[in-house]
Amino acid sequence: MTAHRLVVDGLGAPSRLVAGFVSALAACAGLPPRQAYRLRLATDEITTNIAVHGYRDRGGPVDLRGRVEPEVVRVCIEDEAPPFDPTGHDPAPRVAAGPTAVLGGYGLFLALRSVDHFAYVHVGGRNRTTLCVLRCAAGG
Amino acid sequence: MTLDTRTTVRARTATITLTGDVDAASASVLDEAIAAAAVSSPRRLVLDLNAVDYLSSAGLRCLVFAHQRLGRGVEIVLAGAHPDVAETVRLAGFDRVATIEDQVGG
Repeated sequence: MTAHRLVVDGLGAPSRLVAGFVSALAACAGLPPRQAYRLRLATDEITTNIAVHGYRDRGGPVDLRGRVEPEVVRVCIEDEAPPFDPTGHDPAPRVAAGPTAVLGGYGLFLALRSVDHFAYVHVGGRNRTTLCVLRCAAGG
Repeated sequence: MTLDTRTTVRARTATITLTGDVDAASASVLDEAIAAAAVSSPRRLVLDLNAVDYLSSAGLRCLVFAHQRLGRGVEIVLAGAHPDVAETVRLAGFDRVATIEDQVGG
């Protein structure tokens, strides 16, 4: 089992740091490109959401830990923004109204659907979001 | 990876060729290119995505911006999108407002 860690300050868009973090993790796990893309997308969307909405662009710690396990690659994201459970705010109904009807919500929408397992818990005063993709995806 | 854009306008078709990733850090570059292209009042906007390896929700919001800026009568075409990028577009339902084509002019 291998571990990777990235801590960002939640100021500005962390997309490029996240890209490098997931790329290294995916390479270490030998993830197929499609799985690596999905993990990057979900990790980017959640981390960006924390920076923009959780910390309201004022900054705060976002701690990402990646782990390669026999069956899955797991990314655990922790932050100290106000409690927010993404699974309780699935924007699917609004998105279904039409892609030009809403301006927001696509990030969570994509994150919730891009990984094979998505979990949230608020523990010790921190939000903890866990994202998993299978190392060998069923059906590609 | 940064995002570079190059815009050409021909026969009222504006084509924006993108190179790089479209994410929260770079989406403003695409918004600016769309705003500049809108000045020529095109009937068709083509985004050449052949050299785009990644598109997040920030890129989808650019498409909303393009739709609002150009108006309903303007066709928006996404050309040459990599399968993962095309899947993101379809997943969010944007294939209902933009045409996905395999290649530019395809």
